[in-house]
Amino acid sequence: MNAMRKGIYGFFGTALGAGLSLMLAISANAQEVMNATLYGDMGVVSQDMLNRAGSDGNNFLHTNGNYEQTRYYPARQINASNVSKLRPAWIFQTEIVETMETTPIVVNGVMYVTTAFNHVYALNAATGEQIWHYKHNMGPVTTYCCGPNNRGVAIYNDRVFMGTLDARLVALDAKTGKVLWNKEIADPELGYSETMAPTVANGKVLIGTNGGEYGIRGFVKAYDAANGDLLWTFYTTPENSVGVWATRDATGRDMLRDIAAEKAALAKMGDPYKTLGGGVWQNPAVDLATNRIFFMAGNPSPDLDGSLRPGDNLYTNSLISVDLDTGKYVCHFQYIAHDVWDLDAVSPPVLVDVKDAAGKTVPGVLHAGKTGHVYVHNRDDCSLIRFSEAMVPQENMWVLPTKDGERMLPGANGGVEWSPMAVDANLGLTYAINLHQPMTYHVESTPYPEGKLWLGGAFKVIATEEQWGNVTAVDYNTGKIRWQVKTQQPMIGGVLVTAGGLVFTGEGNGQFKAYDSETGSVLWKFQAGAGVNAPPASYTVDGKQYIVVAAGGNTQLNYKRGNNIMAFTLAE
Amino acid sequence: MSRRVVSLFAALVFTGVVQGAAVARAQSAAPAGIADQVELCSACHGEDGRPVNAETPIIWGQEEYYIYVQMKDIKAGRRASEIMSGVVADLSRDQMRALGKYFSQQPWPRLAFKAQEGDEAVANTMASAGQCAQCHLSGFDGDSRIPRAAGQTDTYLEKTMLDFKYRRRLNAPDKASLLETFSDNDIAAMARYLAALQPH
Repeated sequence: MNAMRKGIYGFFGTALGAGLSLMLAISANAQEVMNATLYGDMGVVSQDMLNRAGSDGNNFLHTNGNYEQTRYYPARQINASNVSKLRPAWIFQTEIVETMETTPIVVNGVMYVTTAFNHVYALNAATGEQIWHYKHNMGPVTTYCCGPNNRGVAIYNDRVFMGTLDARLVALDAKTGKVLWNKEIADPELGYSETMAPTVANGKVLIGTNGGEYGIRGFVKAYDAANGDLLWTFYTTPENSVGVWATRDATGRDMLRDIAAEKAALAKMGDPYKTLGGGVWQNPAVDLATNRIFFMAGNPSPDLDGSLRPGDNLYTNSLISVDLDTGKYVCHFQYIAHDVWDLDAVSPPVLVDVKDAAGKTVPGVLHAGKTGHVYVHNRDDCSLIRFSEAMVPQENMWVLPTKDGERMLPGANGGVEWSPMAVDANLGLTYAINLHQPMTYHVESTPYPEGKLWLGGAFKVIATEEQWGNVTAVDYNTGKIRWQVKTQQPMIGGVLVTAGGLVFTGEGNGQFKAYDSETGSVLWKFQAGAGVNAPPASYTVDGKQYIVVAAGGNTQLNYKRGNNIMAFTLAE
Repeated sequence: MSRRVVSLFAALVFTGVVQGAAVARAQSAAPAGIADQVELCSACHGEDGRPVNAETPIIWGQEEYYIYVQMKDIKAGRRASEIMSGVVADLSRDQMRALGKYFSQQPWPRLAFKAQEGDEAVANTMASAGQCAQCHLSGFDGDSRIPRAAGQTDTYLEKTMLDFKYRRRLNAPDKASLLETFSDNDIAAMARYLAALQPH
């Protein structure tokens, strides 16, 4: 709890710290995950289990469901014909009443969830009872953007992994919550912080970095799951970040770049790669067949001011693929070269077979942009096959930001923000949640103010204009919108689709809803009492399927805060 | 434990344990190496955490890293302050870090301040347009590098926002770009609204 670190509580902490620590130590010993069986220790997650997560109807082992990140859950006990009987099974309240973006991870009846400010809880997934509770000992320096979020743990073998706001990677004993190792990923004073859940593959813990709103150099790093040793680093901004001086975006629209002025600036100031941003906010997808990973790199820094960063600013605003073993570059595709609107690439990529332009089925990659398009790529070389119809209004693109501000749609939060999509490959549909939040874009050039926010201007929400959101199903083989349902508020959180024909997603007003995945009909809803702005998950314990989601509101869009983990199952 | 419960508990602790101490004065002695500086700071920022005048900010209970960064910026000339530039000129990084830590651990003084009718509506519109909660968090409690604004003095808050707006304060340039889009009257209303908020 952040408040525990603050003034008045500091005294309380000092006075009672010793006693509390003793109590916690005693209770921690008593509270362990107990699930060893005749057939072995069921709490240990093998690489084989992680590989087969997509067909595992009992566990939820990856933040986005499986290595392909489809967020498609194969259980169908809860389905379109009975979802109206879905009821809360239990509610767990965490210690932190702040923004929640966690995806619960479930292994053999044990659930792992995180909160803002990096607490981790292990819960009994059938009853909601707490097994253990870990509070990260946060350093005084945190430099995050968009809220003190955490999007969850990764699990592998006997341990769970979490990135922290003070830019550390922590490995905990999954049974007890005890720290096994704790490594600094980067210096938080320079603008680095962690909110994403890591991904573990073949013994490597993969993690990117926040920081696109600071003068950082983005990266993905791989750590040895056993001991936390750094294995490789891929920088999202190469030493030559200039590129091809692209004047059009991925959809062919002119971005109004002044190439001559940029070339002059480049000659004067050199390549800006060291403070160019390119944060990686969300999990990489893992292609087991080719041993490659795919991830998105975010906006260049400073967000709105291109004058300090001439060139295409490679590989910001890009889909990137690298080799899992070495971190070596394989391919990339840049959506917006030299972005000055922060309409970047954040929502995690999804691996699925797609039809190419000739109608041939090929391994593909999907990404939903803040622009409001779903982009469909060929997995071999990252090339773009097609982009979808716009899911939100686009107006005045690409007007350049000015000192007094220019209105352009979408606003800088999207389109699709960090929210992961879900894909039902049987229907050929991908489900995305969108924002419509009109903004003006203001530019003002200033040098990097040493570890402080560096937007190069301001994004201003137009308070007098209506805001709303939508849930959109896109046929990724044609790019056409199949169905679309408007929501009262801009959407942020994430989507789950199930074999039961259901799409689950929550809203800032506390509504958690199930839609018919074929038609978009709302089949069920529940008022959670705080914003439901986290990606849902599902699992099965003792033959009973559950849907679980965090309801903690959202800092970025200022939705009502809460502290609930809510699990639902069918009424008897 | 919810913030409210902690708050209540802490209040009880203070009533019971710190009874008799001058106001809510912290009993923790300043660490060696900064004792003289703490005494100097207290001359303006207050012996009991209540600033001696309304233009001086509350620093008791302010965010540790924020306090340090401000001293660092004043020393480097990124934030102008006639009084403070002399105070921090000879401080080492370790001393500034220690001062940040020390003051952040003192209890935030609760000043009774009432906003005017209509201030809240103006403040909410501003906060929504400026996306203030993204950094200052709900309740304007702040965190780490981002200062607590809730319960700060209204005069200091208004002066700070106007200093950003009119480019007199330069060490957070994005604040200037944002605040220049708001009127002076709206900024004054926001300052009153924030001053009347009680930190969690």
